[in-house]
Amino acid sequence: MSFRLEANAGPLTNFEVFDFLRCKGASKDPTRVLVPVTPSEFKVYDYLVESAACNQTRNIINEFLEKSKKFKLAKAEILNIINIRPSSLVEVDSIIEQCDTRFQEEELQELVDLVIEVLPPLPNQPNAAEEVNEDVQGATERMDGEGIKGVNDEKADDEPMTELMG
Amino acid sequence: MFYLSKIEHTLRLPPHLLRLPLNEAIKLELENVFLDKVIANLGLCISIYDIKEIEGGFVYPGEGASTHTVKFRLVVFRPFVGEIIAAKLKESDANGLRLSLGFFEDIYVPSHLLPSPSRSEPDPYGRYEVKWIWEFGDTKYVIDGLDEIKFRVLSVNYPSIPIEQAEGSKPFAPMVINGSIDYDGLGPVSWW
Repeated sequence: MSFRLEANAGPLTNFEVFDFLRCKGASKDPTRVLVPVTPSEFKVYDYLVESAACNQTRNIINEFLEKSKKFKLAKAEILNIINIRPSSLVEVDSIIEQCDTRFQEEELQELVDLVIEVLPPLPNQPNAAEEVNEDVQGATERMDGEGIKGVNDEKADDEPMTELMG
Repeated sequence: MFYLSKIEHTLRLPPHLLRLPLNEAIKLELENVFLDKVIANLGLCISIYDIKEIEGGFVYPGEGASTHTVKFRLVVFRPFVGEIIAAKLKESDANGLRLSLGFFEDIYVPSHLLPSPSRSEPDPYGRYEVKWIWEFGDTKYVIDGLDEIKFRVLSVNYPSIPIEQAEGSKPFAPMVINGSIDYDGLGPVSWW
């Protein structure tokens, strides 16, 4: 018998799920038997590792949330942008509703520039290769510290970051 | 794409797990019960996020297993309407496209939600049944499955479990996503 206490206890960005699976022990290398991660979780990990989420860090996401406040975007739109990382006006157009009436073209361009500046590019894009290395290093150093308050803690004070999005 | 969901569940812990610390045993049993299963109107359960509370531990008469009431949070895959997702082409037939995310494969883009005008032609390489081609002005854009396809979620349906299924029909899909690529910026990434 189960009851849903809160079906919607908070949306998660792809990065948060990716981070969670990585802290559990998922990784790209093929020796996957020794890790307490199930094959279905690995499938999710394989999908996320090729998306924009794999190079993101918490700092980057917080920075993006701060800087995008002035655009007054809906929560769903910010989530979409963080997950998809649009790099051109056309891509942003499909994410934002009624963007002709809400924004001028210069503001949209400003938003695209902000995305390109703050969020790291997708893994198979050739540009900004050096930034990718720095971010990944920064992320793995942080990982060792944060991984200690692992998932099995009952007093999980690792609340999902979308609480910040209010 | 993913949500956290708080669930309270009455769990029966099989006796062979009693040698483990309680947390681990409960987590293992929860994973057995929930992972990779679809809960109607909630979504596909990906992972147990954390365990908030464990109560109980009663052993009912005649049983060897203990029963606990557990409150925990679950990571579920449930895209919201209007979300943009990048997926790979799995099948392409006369009714439209079928896309896959690796962990979830029941995403359909029916033919009327492809950018108009589109037409289909039989695939010469035999990988898919038909190939869809979008004709915009003079240029032809092909959906050839080489790169990722971005689509917008139109609806998420949870069909009820059928009582009987005919032999050889498609396996029952408890969660079906309908998508559209009829918009600027959607469709194969290489188009834009």
